[in-house]
Amino acid sequence: MKTIDPLYTAVNRVLCPFCSFGCEFGIVFNDFGIKGVEYIKEGNSEGRLCPRGSGAAFYLNHPRRLTMPLKNGKAVDWSKMVKELKKVVGRPKDAAITFDRNLTIEEYNLLVSFCREVGIENIASTYLEPERFLRGFFKEPFSTEEINNAKMIVVVGDLFNQTPMISKTLINWKLSNRRNRLIVIDSINTHTAVFANDFVKTKVGAEPILLLEFAQENSETVDISEFSSISKKKALEMSRSFKETESGIIIACLPFAHTYDSHLLTEALSRFSSFSGKKVVPFVEYMGFDGNQHFGSVMSSIKKRKIKYLINFGEIFPFYYPQIVKGLKGLNLYSTSTLKYDGYTAIPAALNLEKEGSIMTTFGRRNLTGNIKPASGAKTVAEIINSIQETSADERSLQAPAVKIDVKERIEKVVDKCRAARKKKNYLLIGEKIAFSFLGLFEKEMIRINPHDAKELGIKPNDRVSIKSKQGEVELRAKLTDDVGRGITSVPAEIPEVKGLFDFEIVNDIISFTPTEVEIWRKG
Amino acid sequence: MAKRIVLDLDLCCGCRSCEAACRAAFKGEARIRHADLSGIAYLPLACKHCKEPLCVASCPVDAIKKDEESGLVIRSSFVCIGCKSCVFACPFGAIDAPLVRHVSQKCNLCRDREDGPRCVAACSSGALQFLSDDEIKQHEIGMRMVSKDAFFRRKA
Repeated sequence: MKTIDPLYTAVNRVLCPFCSFGCEFGIVFNDFGIKGVEYIKEGNSEGRLCPRGSGAAFYLNHPRRLTMPLKNGKAVDWSKMVKELKKVVGRPKDAAITFDRNLTIEEYNLLVSFCREVGIENIASTYLEPERFLRGFFKEPFSTEEINNAKMIVVVGDLFNQTPMISKTLINWKLSNRRNRLIVIDSINTHTAVFANDFVKTKVGAEPILLLEFAQENSETVDISEFSSISKKKALEMSRSFKETESGIIIACLPFAHTYDSHLLTEALSRFSSFSGKKVVPFVEYMGFDGNQHFGSVMSSIKKRKIKYLINFGEIFPFYYPQIVKGLKGLNLYSTSTLKYDGYTAIPAALNLEKEGSIMTTFGRRNLTGNIKPASGAKTVAEIINSIQETSADERSLQAPAVKIDVKERIEKVVDKCRAARKKKNYLLIGEKIAFSFLGLFEKEMIRINPHDAKELGIKPNDRVSIKSKQGEVELRAKLTDDVGRGITSVPAEIPEVKGLFDFEIVNDIISFTPTEVEIWRKG
Repeated sequence: MAKRIVLDLDLCCGCRSCEAACRAAFKGEARIRHADLSGIAYLPLACKHCKEPLCVASCPVDAIKKDEESGLVIRSSFVCIGCKSCVFACPFGAIDAPLVRHVSQKCNLCRDREDGPRCVAACSSGALQFLSDDEIKQHEIGMRMVSKDAFFRRKA
């Protein structure tokens, strides 16, 4: 890189922690701090970066970056905060600990040891994604060679939005041989779908029904043409071809913003995998950790007032789940946070980008470089834990109770929901994770509406639109596109206020966000 | 002209990494724009640094000039008055004029970076490439998809 004065400019190499792909890039420093990112032609991504990676400097330098603990919106001294946390862990029966992806493997081990030492029994991951269950698919690290050697690939979801870095391998695989067949399953038309030989459009949340049809496990009462764009005969042909092909992969793309029954989908993927004898490769946000119970059971204990104090080591809860927090009255919530947020006692924390340690990626365990110091006032999870009580980490992990789901019952529920939505005039809201819309840094969030629906509602492109669900109301600009079908609207659910619109349900102590009925109207 | 940014339409997956990289490098103002042919294709639009640029001809204050040595079409933000003449003159729609700073945005192929433009470095699918005229002639850009309609990929 060309520099004015090399003495005052440095490029520090880091590992991107924003998804499980683990790209390498450089953070550029000058006299005034972080200047931007540099693309280093090494690593899995060969120096290429998705919008989240390119936005890393923005995120590190975010104007709302928290630098002091905040209690009721007021800055508190770190020593007072530590005293308060010590008091909380002094009452272990009344306290619970939650965590999410903003932990290194070493910090997770430390957290487990800490909980055992202080006697806290309620430990759960707030990461509601099914990757904890999907880890079963990751018995051995994935290699892009598996894509190159495949003859047929089934992709569930919008892979190019979730993990753009895999696009080069997948597109080149498809173009390398005209006989290579790509099947994409999604409920809206996506950029991944554009590349498909066969794009199978399903009803919102009906992907598991299609996968079970492929696995030939659907009951005869389910007519697949009612829930997808293909007939039973076509589904049978796809299923047989996939089973008979000598090498194939099922790629499951499970974004943070999902609005489907994640456990039903995971189960359907397992069954399709067993039927076809092919491997499932999940592309996820992060290879998460287990607590000793599920987040839903911690939430139930809080509602029953069995738990009065919750310390959260992570950035997802409660930031992204305002609708869940609303129902937790009388809870004293302490949460590490990277950005300022007034709804709870916020403790400034370092990002994984600013830590030394290791994380799990799709390609196996990778080391974080620790080349960047935590932002002013922010501490790592390890530093926070050690300031409460000196702890040494053990290589011990926790195991949440296994989840058994009644597939028949859950399928009936999805079927009923699909049929009910058709009868009503309301719109079904689905969430999308849009890499470009990373924390709203690059572009203002927009709601996507079908042009026919927009005409009926009197909405024109770029109009301000109100979206109201049972959980709340949000205002967004409208984008009209045929990519979403009639009766469906899609929003970037990575925006916390937008994510707060979604309905959720707790089944078997597991929280799932579901496609949500909303009213839409033109504002002003 | 040494090298220019070339788009291989076959490969573009619409992730907008190029635009994000440009925004991140230029204080939130992207010099690369995009067109979205809904459900069909996605077109990042970067300045082509034309041999006979219409934007240069249209500029009333000579803020845009062509550097004959490097072939770059360069705009000076100090001279630009934000009249948008270049925006209307550009046949590719590659110039944007945000109203925030009242100057037009113009790609300079990341002259501050030795390894070439950031949009090319960031491109997740390898669709954007930085090639010389000779390399462009040798390269089968956008030729792998055999289709009646150049933009319609799904039937290919």
